Order: sequence, then structure tokens, then C-alpha cells
Amino acid sequence: MSILSLILFYLLYPSFFITVIFPGAIFALILLLLMIWFERKAAAFVQMRYGPLYASKRLGGALQLIADAIKYAISEIIIPNGVNPTLYALAPMLLITFAFIPIAVIPVSRIPISGSILSKYFLAFYDPDIKSGLYVGYFVPFNLLLALGLASSYSVFVLLTAWVTNNRFALIGAVREAFLSVSYDVLIVMSALALALEYHTLDIAKIVQSGIPGFIANPIAGVVFFIGVIMGTSRFPFEIVEADTEVVMGPYTEYTGLLYVITMGASYIGTYSFALLYSDLFLGGWAPFSGLPGAVWMTFKAVLVLAFSVFLRSVYGRYRIDQAIRGSWKYVLPAALASIILGLVVGWLWIR
Amino acid sequence: MDKVKEYKKEKNPFRLFGYHLAAVGEGIKHFIRPKRMTLMYPEEVQALPTGYRGFIRFYKDLCTGCTMCAMICPADAMKMVTQEGKKYPRINYGRCIFCGFCVDICPVDALKETPIHDVAFTSREQFRFPPDLFNEEFQEEPPLLSKPVKRVKPIIDEDRGVIYVPDEQ
Repeated sequence: MSILSLILFYLLYPSFFITVIFPGAIFALILLLLMIWFERKAAAFVQMRYGPLYASKRLGGALQLIADAIKYAISEIIIPNGVNPTLYALAPMLLITFAFIPIAVIPVSRIPISGSILSKYFLAFYDPDIKSGLYVGYFVPFNLLLALGLASSYSVFVLLTAWVTNNRFALIGAVREAFLSVSYDVLIVMSALALALEYHTLDIAKIVQSGIPGFIANPIAGVVFFIGVIMGTSRFPFEIVEADTEVVMGPYTEYTGLLYVITMGASYIGTYSFALLYSDLFLGGWAPFSGLPGAVWMTFKAVLVLAFSVFLRSVYGRYRIDQAIRGSWKYVLPAALASIILGLVVGWLWIR
Repeated sequence: MDKVKEYKKEKNPFRLFGYHLAAVGEGIKHFIRPKRMTLMYPEEVQALPTGYRGFIRFYKDLCTGCTMCAMICPADAMKMVTQEGKKYPRINYGRCIFCGFCVDICPVDALKETPIHDVAFTSREQFRFPPDLFNEEFQEEPPLLSKPVKRVKPIIDEDRGVIYVPDEQ
């Protein structure tokens, strides 16, 4: 084995390639800049404006975000008096880490036994449920459960961020997050449970390999899961935690410079990792492709979901906290129950 | 007291969901076919009507030094200075609010409005125009852009709100 093929072997090794390169950290950070640009442009289009334009007129102002990122990255980080500096710096990093971590256990593609560049990992990532290799950072048979569990630990670190900064606006934001997290976690878990009952499995790969996209099999669960996602990662109309017109920036009020970029990026990354999950569960994942094209196809659908969820900023205003919680318990929770019943019926009649 | 018009609250959750879909659909319609009404300022300039108050030109040989302009000026932009035993006004455009009172009150029409509205100064010293500089025609700056500036005028449009069409004059 030559040195080049050895490098290629470790580069494409799923645990490294998925978490670090694609669709993990590096791709996600590029996507983050593009998505914030897209969000500003989409809001501008709907509001009869142009959005960022003059930084690079031919690219539609896409370089504006790179300029903004550089400006934030080199500006001073101010640590307020009376906080623990270690925790103060650690909290946003934990936040963005736990926004990233679900990507490691979400299957991205299937590894065929031969014919693909990934086929040499077939045995190391063999999934007995679908009788094929699985292109995933870390394979566990119950990865739906693990992905949801890891993703729901995100809100704990929002609370930590607010608590270590010792700011009254941050505490208001943290209380809002605590209120909301009960509402959205229930929705996400119930709609995922509906799919698990419907496909008789807790393995995301088996849901994808069944060939029926979850949105067709159970549209109610699809809608409820999406509402839970935009609620959980504070996208509009549920951008209640960091409502910048009410509580300065919610839990992230005290952060400046690079630490602020990390806190702001964390919610987008959280939406992205949920969008990857959504693409697998409801939009058919990598099927009918396999190998690297499957990964690209699955990620493309996730990017569409992410784009739609940031696009909602231009359509909606912001709900008050009581409106959001009332809507979530009064209207969406019964829909989640209905999705479980629908999942039971469809799983019993149609999907074996 | 008049009754405040209130929208009826929708109770039917299915119809509520339909309204949400309609709102998102409307947003997507605007996203695909944006109806922008931005005036791209440095490249396009809105043509202004004649008589729109602009920068002020001073005619030194007409001035009688009556100090009426300095008296009427509400922002204290116009002040009198003495040159060779005679009083002349000088203006500070940092204070001027372009109300045009000085032009109206001048008994010998020594102050006139000019059709110049866009002037850029690079320092605060340049805001002040002593009588001799105030007496001169405005030097139009060479344009910063390579292309000539388009003059447009706004038109109320039923579909898009405001649109800008090229101005013929």
C-alpha cells in the first residue's frame, strides 16, 4: 500500500471525513456563512430591497459575510467583571460542540459491498439491519435515539452560557429557553417516535432504506418535527430566546468578538444538524444513491431544509413566549399525538 | 367613541394552518419575483423639481450689508463679517438647514438658491464659506463614478409601490 492510498484511506475514513470535512465541521462553517448571506438576501427580496450588494457586486454581495466574519474575528473579546473567565470562554465552545455532535451519529450514506471508493470500510461499518455498510461517523444500532438525545442537550448549554455571563438579559433569555425547551423537545421526540413506530425500528438507516420517505408515510410527523426544529434552534417565528429587540441578544448578550460569532453560529449549526436528521427521516435521505453521491444528495436536501427554515425570517414576525407555548401545547401537541396514531396505523397496514 | 376594528380570531386549526401556508407561499412568491424599489443612489439620482431648495449662492456686489439674513437665520448658520469696513454674510453649511429664509428676506436679492443638492466635503473646515468663496459659483466636483449619473424620477405604481423611470429633461 503506497503512502498516497494510505492517506486517502484515512482521509475518507467515515469517522474523520463525516465529522471534520463533509458534511461536518469544514463544510458546515462554509455553509454557515452562505446561509447567513442567504438569510439577509431572502429577507431583502421579500421586503423589496437588495440586501448586501456592494462588497462584491457580481456575486450578489456574498463576500460581505466574509468581511463581517473577519471583522468579528479580530475585534476585542471583552470579559466582564465578576464572571469566571474559564467558564465564560468555555460555554460558547461547549454550545457549538453540542450543536455539532449529532452529525457524528446521523448516517449520511450507504456503503455498497463493492464498486465504491468507500467499499473498503464495508466491514468496519456494517449495519446488520440493512445488511450493508453505513457511512456514518460512529455506528450504533439505535442512532435515532442517540441523535435526538445529543441534540436535545444543546439547550442545557444555552442555559450555561446565560448563567456564566451574570447578566439580567441573559437570565431572561435563559428562562425563555427553559420554557421553550420543554415544548419543543416533546414535539421532536413524539414525531420521531411516530416514525420509529411506523418503521418498526430505531435505526435511521432502516427508515431510509425502506424506500418510502417519511413525509409521504407520515406528513403530520414531518410538519410537527419541523416546527419543533425551528422552535428548538430559535429560528423565526420562534426566535424568542435571542429576541434582539426585547432582550438584547438573550443568553449571548455579554459576548463579543469571536465568542459572539461562535454563539450566533451555534444556533445555525444546530438547525443544520437537525436538518440532516430531517433529510434522513422525512425526505428519503440518500436513496436511491449510495457511497459519496448519496452523501451529497442527502446533504443537498438538508441544505434545502436549512434554507427554508432561515427563509421564514422574512415571512413571520416573532411570537411572544406565551403565544409560542400556547400554540405548541394547544395545537401542535395534539397533532403530534395524531401523528403517533397515524404512524401506528400506517405501520400496521402498509410498512412491514 | 368609534368601535375599533378587530380581526376575528380564527378558531379552526386547519384553517389556521392554511393561513400559515398562504403566508409562506406569499413570501416564496416575493422571493422568486422580487419587487424592489431601491434607488441605487450613487449611480442613480432622483431628479428634483425646480425650486427645490439647494445650496445658496451669494452676489457680493449687490449686497448692502443690511444683516437681515443673519438676523432671520434660525440655525445661526449665516453670520456677518466685516471686510474693508463693510459687512458681508458668511455661511456655515454644517449648521444650515436649507430653510431658505435668508433668500426670502434679502431686500436686494443678493442671495439665490442654486439647483445643486449633492456636495461632499472632506473636512469640517470646508463647511464654512467666507464671503469671497460664498460669492463664487459652485465648482461641480468631477464625478467619482466612471459612468455618467442617471437621473430618474419616482412614479407611483399600483403593483410595486414606487418605480423609478429615467427623467427626460
